[in-house]
Amino acid sequence: MERSSGHTRMLMRSCLLAAAAAVASVMSTLPVSAADEVSQERLLNVDKEPGNWLHHHQNYSAHRFSTLKEVNRDNVKNLKVAWTMHLGGIEGGGIWSHGGLEGTPIAENGFLYVTDGWGSVYKIDAHGGRGALVWKMDPKTDRDWAGAVACCGVDNRGVALWGNLVISHTLDGRLIATNKETGQVAWQRTVADPDKGEVITGAPLIVKNMAITGVAGAEYGIRGWIAATDLSTQKEVWRTHTIPGKGEPGSETWKDSNNAAAAGGGSTWVTGTYDPATDTIVWGIGNPGPDWDNAYRPGDNLYTDSSLALDATTGKIKWHYQHTPNDPYDYDSVAENVLVDVPGPSGPRKLALEADRNGFAYAIDRTNGKFVWGLPFVKKVTWTKGLDPESGKPIEYDPNKSVQAYIASVTPSRTNMETHICPGNMGGKNWPPTAYNPDLKLWYIPVIESCNRIKVEVMTPDKLKPREFWTGGGPSQPFKITGSVTAIDVTTGKIAGKMETPFPNLGGILATPDLIFTGQPSGEVMALDAKSLQKLWEFNTGGGVNAPPMTFTVDGKQYVAILVGLGGAWDKWFIDATPELKKIQPGSMLYVFAL
Amino acid sequence: MMIFDRFPVAAGTLLASVVALNFSMLAAAYGQSAQAPTSDPTNAGKAVFGKANCMGCHKWHGNGGGGYGGDALSLRKTDLTRDQIIEVVGCGRPGTGMPFFTRGAYDEVKCHDMNRQDAGAQMPPEGGMFLRSKDIEAVADYVIAHIKGAGEPTYAECIAFFSSSSRVCDVYKTQAQKPDDATASRGKGQ
Repeated sequence: MERSSGHTRMLMRSCLLAAAAAVASVMSTLPVSAADEVSQERLLNVDKEPGNWLHHHQNYSAHRFSTLKEVNRDNVKNLKVAWTMHLGGIEGGGIWSHGGLEGTPIAENGFLYVTDGWGSVYKIDAHGGRGALVWKMDPKTDRDWAGAVACCGVDNRGVALWGNLVISHTLDGRLIATNKETGQVAWQRTVADPDKGEVITGAPLIVKNMAITGVAGAEYGIRGWIAATDLSTQKEVWRTHTIPGKGEPGSETWKDSNNAAAAGGGSTWVTGTYDPATDTIVWGIGNPGPDWDNAYRPGDNLYTDSSLALDATTGKIKWHYQHTPNDPYDYDSVAENVLVDVPGPSGPRKLALEADRNGFAYAIDRTNGKFVWGLPFVKKVTWTKGLDPESGKPIEYDPNKSVQAYIASVTPSRTNMETHICPGNMGGKNWPPTAYNPDLKLWYIPVIESCNRIKVEVMTPDKLKPREFWTGGGPSQPFKITGSVTAIDVTTGKIAGKMETPFPNLGGILATPDLIFTGQPSGEVMALDAKSLQKLWEFNTGGGVNAPPMTFTVDGKQYVAILVGLGGAWDKWFIDATPELKKIQPGSMLYVFAL
Repeated sequence: MMIFDRFPVAAGTLLASVVALNFSMLAAAYGQSAQAPTSDPTNAGKAVFGKANCMGCHKWHGNGGGGYGGDALSLRKTDLTRDQIIEVVGCGRPGTGMPFFTRGAYDEVKCHDMNRQDAGAQMPPEGGMFLRSKDIEAVADYVIAHIKGAGEPTYAECIAFFSSSSRVCDVYKTQAQKPDDATASRGKGQ
C-alpha cells in the first residue's frame, strides 16, 4: 500500500495547527460571552436547560436522552451537515500509531467543549451556524510514557464543567482544570501513575465540588480505584480501591498465594452515575488480571466485573453486584450503570441498568444491589446457558469452586488453552454508551455481535513486570464481527427490537423523543425511529465513527454533533474481524448537523 | 524455519495498525535521525526499528510480550541469527501476526519457498511500509548489536533509545537513581 504523500500531509497538518493556534490567540483577546458558572444546582437540574448538554452522559442517570424535538421523525430526512471542524490529536505514541476520537462533546450556552485522544481540550463557538475555535488547551501529554501502557488506544472521552472551569483528564494520569474563558490551565493534579500501568481515558464525573476519576490498566497489573478530588482545595477527598486490601471485606475472594489481588485489575475507565436521592455513586468495575488465566487468581475476585455503589461523600462501598465471578473471558463490567425508575408490582422500582461485556443486560435494584432481571442482548452466547432467575449469576457458577469453568468446553483455562468464545472479549457491549428514553421506557444498547479465539498463557509471578502486559493470553479474530442496536423494554426486561448493522457499534447512542442517533466505524451517522428502529436518515462522514452523538441548541436552533476518527482498541487489535475497516484512515473531525 | 511465537496470532492482526503508522512515524524518523549521534553504525537500523513500528509489538526493548495482540517474540531471548532475522523481517512469519516488509514478498519474491496461494490462510500480514533490503539488513544489525541477548532492559538502554524528555524510561531507574521528589514534581506546572 503506497502512502508516499504521508510526510507532506504531516507538514500540512502542522501548518493547519499553527493557523488554528494563531486564530485562538486572536480570539482569546476578544471578549467572549460570559458563560454562567456551573453549579451542583445546575448539574442536578439539567432538564431545565434542554439546549445544553452539561454531563458526559447528559444527566447524572446516564440517560443520554434529550427532549429537543426540532429534529424529529418527520423531518430528520432533511438533516444536513451544518459545519465541521478538523481537530488534532492524531499523533502516535508508545505502542500506538495514531490517536482517535471517543469523546462526547459538552455544550453550554452555544459553546462546545471537546477533547482529542491526547487530551487537548477545544472550546468552540457554535453561534451563527458555524464553528469557530475559541481556544485549545494542549496538556502536552507524555505520549511515549502513557501510550506504551494504554491497552486500547489513545483515547479521551471528554470534559466536565464546574464553576468557571473545564475539568479534563490526560492519558498520562492528570486531572486538569482550565479557565473556561481564557483556556489557561488553572491547576493540575496527578491522579494516576503510568509507571504502575495506570492511565486515564474517561471523562470526569462532577459531584458536589468533587471530580471523580476512574483509571485504566487491568491489562498491565494495576489495582484499580475510583478517586475524588476536591475542586476547591485540589486535594484528594477519597480513593476507593476496587480490589479490597488484605483483611478488608471481599479480600477472601482472592484465594491464591501469589498476592494476585495486588495486581488484580478492576479498572474503572468509564464514567459512572450518581443518584442524589441517596448520595450514591454507581460505577462499573473492569476485568480481573491476568485476563484469561483465572487459575492464577482463584476465588470470585471481588469487585472485578461488578457494579459498585459508593457513598459519594466518603467513597465507602455500599453494595456491589458481580456479573462474572472469577472471570476467564475479559468480560469486564466497566460500562455505565443507567439509573431509571419504572413502575413495579409494589410501587416504583429504582433500577441500575448495565449492558455487560459478557452479553447480558442486567437490572439491579439500586437501593440494595439485588438482581431484578437479566437477559442476553447479543445473538450468540456460548459461555453459559443463561442466568439463574433468582440470583442472576451464570447458571454454571459454583460458589464452592475457586476456579470457575462455566461451560468448560469453550472456556479458556489451563486445560483448554485455545478456544473460541462468544461474545468475544470486546463484548457484548464495550464502553460506547447506551441511551434511555424515559417516555418509551426503552433502553438502547450499542452492540458488538461477536465471537473470537482466545489462547491462554499460564502466568507465574515472575512474569508480572511494571508497564508490561499481564493478560495470561490473548485474542485473535478468525470470525467476522458485526453489530446491532438492541432495544430493551425496561418495564418487562425483554428485547423490544434489534437493528442489525454490518459493523460493530463502536460509538454509542443518543436518544430523543422519537429518534435515536448512532454511527458505524465504516463512517455512517444515522437516525433511527425510536420505536421501530427503522433507519430514517444516514450520512457517511468518510471517517470511522468511534464516539457517541449528542445534541444541543444555539440561537434557538437544534444541532446534532459527533466526533469522527477511528482509533481505540479496534483498529489495532480487532481489525481482522472487520477487514473492510482496514481502509478507514485515521482522522480527527467534529461533524455538526442541522435541518 | 518455524521457530515461531509461543502463541502466534492470526495473520493480519497487525496489518492496519502498521499501515496506519506510516505517516506519523515518518515524521518521527526524520526527527530522530537529526538528533541521533552519528558514531553508532547501527543508528540507521534503530531508525528502521522505529519507523516500521517494530516497537508496536516487540516494544522499544524488543522483549515483546503477551497482550491483546498476542505474544510478539522476544528479540532479546531469540536464537535467530542475523540471516534468519533478515528473512523474517522480509517475509514475515506465516501463521502469526509478524508482517512481511519486502515489496512483492510471496508474489515475485518467493518466501519460505511459498507464494500467496501456497501460504493460504498462513499468509502473514503486509507491513505498513516496505523496506529496502539495505534497511532490513540495518534493522537486523541493530537487533543483533543492541537487543539480542541483552538481558532485562535498563535505564541507560531506554534513554539511548528514546533520547527524549519523556518519562517512559523512569520505571527502569534503580531506586538510587530516582530523586526523592520524583512523585511530588509531577503535576506541577505545564
